Amino acid sequence: MNAPAGPFGRPLAALATVVALVLVVAGCGTGDPSGSARTERVTSLTVLDYYTDTTEHAHWGELLTSCGKKAGVTIEHRSVPGPSLVPTVVRQATAGTLPDLLMLDNPDLQEIARSGVLTPLRTYGIRTDGFVSGIVSAGTYQGEVYGLAPTVNTLALYYNKDMLAEAGVTVPRTWNELREAARATTRPGRHGLAVDADASFESTFQFLPFLWSNGGDEQRLDTPQAAAALRLWTDLVRDGSMSRSVLTWNQANVHEQFLGGKAAMMVNGPWRMTELEKAKGLRWGVAPLPVPRAGTSLVTPLGGEVWTVPRNDSQARRIKAAQVLDCLNDPTSMQTLATWHHTVPSRKDVAARYAKQVPSMAAFVESVRGARARTRELGPAWPKTATAIQTAVQAAVSGRQTPEEALRHAQRTATGS
Amino acid sequence: MAPVRPLKRRPRPARRWAGTLVAIVLLALMLSPVYGMVSASVQPAGRSQPGSWLLSDADPGGYVTALHDQGGALVTSLVVSLGTAALSLALSAPAAYALTLSPVPGAGPFLFAVLFLQAVPGISVANALHGFYADTGLLDSYLGLILADSTAGVPFAILVLRTAMGAVPRELVEAARLDGAGHRRVFLSLMLPLSMNALVTAGVFAFLFAWGDTLFALTLTTGDAVRPVTVSLFDYLGAHSTRWNATMATAVLASLPAAVLVVVAQRHITTGPACGATH
Amino acid sequence: MRSARLRAPDTEGRLRVQPAAAVRARRRDTVVRAAFLTPAAVYLLLFLGRPLVDNIEASLRESTATTLLRGRAPFTGPDNHVRLLASDEFWRAAAITGLYTAGSLVAQFTAGLALALFFHRRFPLGRLVRSLMLLPWLMPLVATGTAWRWMLDADDGVVNEALRALHLVTSDVPWLTGTQEALWSVVLVNTWVGIPFNTALLYTGLQAIPPQTDEAAQLDGAGPVRRFRFITWPQLRPTAAVVLVLGVIYTLRAPDVVLALTGGGPAGATQTLAVLAFEQAYTQYEFGRAAATGNVLVLVSLVLALIHLSALRRARRL
Repeated sequence: MNAPAGPFGRPLAALATVVALVLVVAGCGTGDPSGSARTERVTSLTVLDYYTDTTEHAHWGELLTSCGKKAGVTIEHRSVPGPSLVPTVVRQATAGTLPDLLMLDNPDLQEIARSGVLTPLRTYGIRTDGFVSGIVSAGTYQGEVYGLAPTVNTLALYYNKDMLAEAGVTVPRTWNELREAARATTRPGRHGLAVDADASFESTFQFLPFLWSNGGDEQRLDTPQAAAALRLWTDLVRDGSMSRSVLTWNQANVHEQFLGGKAAMMVNGPWRMTELEKAKGLRWGVAPLPVPRAGTSLVTPLGGEVWTVPRNDSQARRIKAAQVLDCLNDPTSMQTLATWHHTVPSRKDVAARYAKQVPSMAAFVESVRGARARTRELGPAWPKTATAIQTAVQAAVSGRQTPEEALRHAQRTATGS
Repeated sequence: MAPVRPLKRRPRPARRWAGTLVAIVLLALMLSPVYGMVSASVQPAGRSQPGSWLLSDADPGGYVTALHDQGGALVTSLVVSLGTAALSLALSAPAAYALTLSPVPGAGPFLFAVLFLQAVPGISVANALHGFYADTGLLDSYLGLILADSTAGVPFAILVLRTAMGAVPRELVEAARLDGAGHRRVFLSLMLPLSMNALVTAGVFAFLFAWGDTLFALTLTTGDAVRPVTVSLFDYLGAHSTRWNATMATAVLASLPAAVLVVVAQRHITTGPACGATH
Repeated sequence: MRSARLRAPDTEGRLRVQPAAAVRARRRDTVVRAAFLTPAAVYLLLFLGRPLVDNIEASLRESTATTLLRGRAPFTGPDNHVRLLASDEFWRAAAITGLYTAGSLVAQFTAGLALALFFHRRFPLGRLVRSLMLLPWLMPLVATGTAWRWMLDADDGVVNEALRALHLVTSDVPWLTGTQEALWSVVLVNTWVGIPFNTALLYTGLQAIPPQTDEAAQLDGAGPVRRFRFITWPQLRPTAAVVLVLGVIYTLRAPDVVLALTGGGPAGATQTLAVLAFEQAYTQYEFGRAAATGNVLVLVSLVLALIHLSALRRARRL
């Protein structure tokens, strides 16, 4: 990729030569084929993920180290912030410095797998029996499984028990009940419900359970079902039971609203529980998200990170990496991770046991069973549609467009070039 | 080259203090968001909202956490930013001097390049440097970050210093040259002292560019080895934690050493106008 | 300097008598000057020139996560640019960028100049207050962005609280959530971030103006407005030009303020070209398209740099 620094004025031509020389010299140090020897002894593996949070990084480090020990290798664990993970992978791929073990957010897997830098897990004898179907489909590209997640997550409805009791409402199960409960729990300085409708993929993630449960589909956004889902959100804002500030709240901010007693209910993931459990004087519960009508089944988006083995020249390294990956996904590791981070084990039997041990996780365990991968239908084309959905949500909630207009526009941008 | 104070009639003391009063009001307005951060930083842990604007139940817990978690990152930021300021001045001051002398071959195109190269998107710079650094081992190094952060400081300093050095009367330079002083000498003992104000300004801003950088710190480091405070803050604000008091305490702490440095540096912008030194 | 003066006649004499030596001296002069310029030039080429070339190259290829990972991003010529220029979102972002940049620049520069003139008069504690004014720059933007979001929150932000208390508004102003208001809010915050920069540079520029002319005009009975217009401003102009051009370039290329406040929302109402490029690269993984957007920004800056330089040249000729 060393492009010659050429198109500069005559005065600098001489300097360009100097620079070119420097670049050539700099380039000499690279390009050694990693592990040409077939019988090489692998003593350490590099691992890349986005767990930069100090506690999380330490937890994962601990688990990786212990799995590495079983495989007889030490682990070099690196974390980069979420948004720069894929760009980092791209840079590393072009520089030939991909890690031995790579974590990816599940919606990114298909795009990366399509480009051929990952290896199928089947070749290492890793099986996916007993895993929740949603996560297997998220890890699959063209019939091959490339990634597996030890734990997954999804969204549910958190509610403040005292506020619901004070307003005399029960935990809502349908959209009508949700609107009613939100209206009843709204007070000056407090809103009934908080969701994430900000200008990021988080708002798409939060809107999907409403879209999907109502029979909406990401391949056709301009349907009455989709519009009705979006209208629920705009109605909640119009009722005054949801703040228009949801347009600027990310999921962490939504959590703060709930924690601070400024929202009686919120849509959020299980990773919030650790903080909630620490909050004194806050009595809260979790329920599956309300569905359009009694009897309709709930479809939520599946969250979670899959582990993959990137392609490289050394079969020995890949095999070791796969051993560590297998260890991360064994029942014991799952259980450990689930307990640490309040996530849902992706093996069904482990999850069922876990739900009994931690009752507050039951709503999530239940929701995960029917959860869908975001890339199931669109595959690598998902980011484009995700952006279109996020823009439609913002346009409708801010009142710039009606839900119908916003979604028509979204459909055009999602299918356009 | 003694500083020459302006000969302005000194206003009456009452009027001078009125100026101070206005200045403090302006300052209060300017710094109200900063106050918001300070008040959030002394809130008890666990509270997630900015809450009251009054510092009622101040709790230093945030600062204890912040110092414990971020002390090292603050030192890293300081080293990188000071290095950036030094490198930027070292590279740009001689260049600025050369650009003020009239017939330098290529001076026009050079200045032009300096101006518009600042528009190169930071992301592109980071991407290009990542490949280059991976090859040369500059990833995760102080030098690497200093070199990258100077991409803002060097062009800026060249422009500011060139303007300042261009304002030094030509006769002064020519006189020195006729006196037999070489370029090195004119540069070191005439130009540098006469453009002290601009040097401080350029240095302070090069420092600040580096101090506030998140992009390079995020893309050109990979772990804990070299981790400036902006990256630590970024992690603090990560999706999985609610520690506003510690986050804001870090922000406040992060600005303290820089503030002290800037106040000290600004003391040097007191010398009167350069031309005062001429006859 | 005194010792140099003592040697002066000697040098001068030699120069006059030996033209060949003079030529040699001039040539050595050129070499010395080039040496002054070289380190900065090499640095700029390596650290800004090369990224620029890389950016142009990426924009001429179909550079996406997939193609780059496959190691062969096909050359597509101007395709990225053509498609970018044909899209509505580009022109919308361009218009927003124009408003955002113009609004920020006018406000920053005016406020900065007023503050610089104010601090130019000496008063007790002036220097300390002036230094403290730089604080907005010292605070990491991730933190100040959060503080501003608190302050501008429609429900319980202090700004709306204050407006309500003063009975200036009947309903809450949707500072960050209104599709009209959000743009002015990001302009406000970007102005706040930029004032210290403008003040500091313009102040330095004012300090460099010799006070004698101003004093002479004062003795002639010229008022402060006339003195500013005819004495101060002409001498401040080179500094002002640098401040303005840099202000435009920094505002154009940096997505930080907008990202920290609104993320480009609501519904793209604050999506500047820099934010668009960021989104293309970091959420769509369309690196080629992002590079094309970046090229547009570079091109705009190129034009500005040209205007700036020709203005300087004209000023020098006058």
